[in-house]
Amino acid sequence: MISPLSAIGSLTLQGASATTPAVSSVATPSGPSFAQTLASAAADAVTTVQGGEAAAIQGVTGSMPTFKVVEQVMSAQRTLQEMISIRDKAVSAYQEISRMTI
Amino acid sequence: MIDPLQASLKISGAGLEAQSTRLRIISQNIANSQSTASVAGADPYARQTVSFDNVLDRASGLSLVRVKNVGVDAAPFKLEHDPGNPAADSDGYVKLPNVDVLVELTDMREANRTYEANLQVAKQSADLLNQTVALLKDA
Repeated sequence: MISPLSAIGSLTLQGASATTPAVSSVATPSGPSFAQTLASAAADAVTTVQGGEAAAIQGVTGSMPTFKVVEQVMSAQRTLQEMISIRDKAVSAYQEISRMTI
Repeated sequence: MIDPLQASLKISGAGLEAQSTRLRIISQNIANSQSTASVAGADPYARQTVSFDNVLDRASGLSLVRVKNVGVDAAPFKLEHDPGNPAADSDGYVKLPNVDVLVELTDMREANRTYEANLQVAKQSADLLNQTVALLKDA
């Protein structure tokens, strides 16, 4: 088990090496790439959001208890906010790299 | 491993479900507090009772609450002398349900309070989760 902080470090390294292939001689860390990690997290998020939508529809038709609908919709909302925040972080990280003085 | 705050949301959700079932049974009891039998001398509506049980959710390892069973109160029925009633027996007595509306109202108050307590837990957990996610924003 790799420690979370060094995992972030290796992901950052990989992200940097992906944008600057010239310095790819830097040790490439093993494990899934940042993009893969993000993609699988996004897939999970999509499932949660779809669950929230299905719950909302069932709530309107009255075939699901109210608190279950609320639970699912809140979970979907939170997941969406998480994904948006993570995307913003990723975008700002790439912008940070593009602003690097060469 | 489930997130503890999401776990408390799930647990309080189970509590809400249990208490709303209890409230449903109470409303049945109150609504049927005057329901007599359709056949002469037969038993009227019997008061229903709810009992709760602690159940382990194996997928998440959480201790949830659920309605164990909906039973029937074995207390004797009230007798009322009303010879004109179609449900009256040969002596003119009608069996009325063993529902005491005062007891039901007290029970309803308790169910209400417990529901509110669970709701408060859900509110707090959701609030804390949202605040934690908000840490990611404009940091």
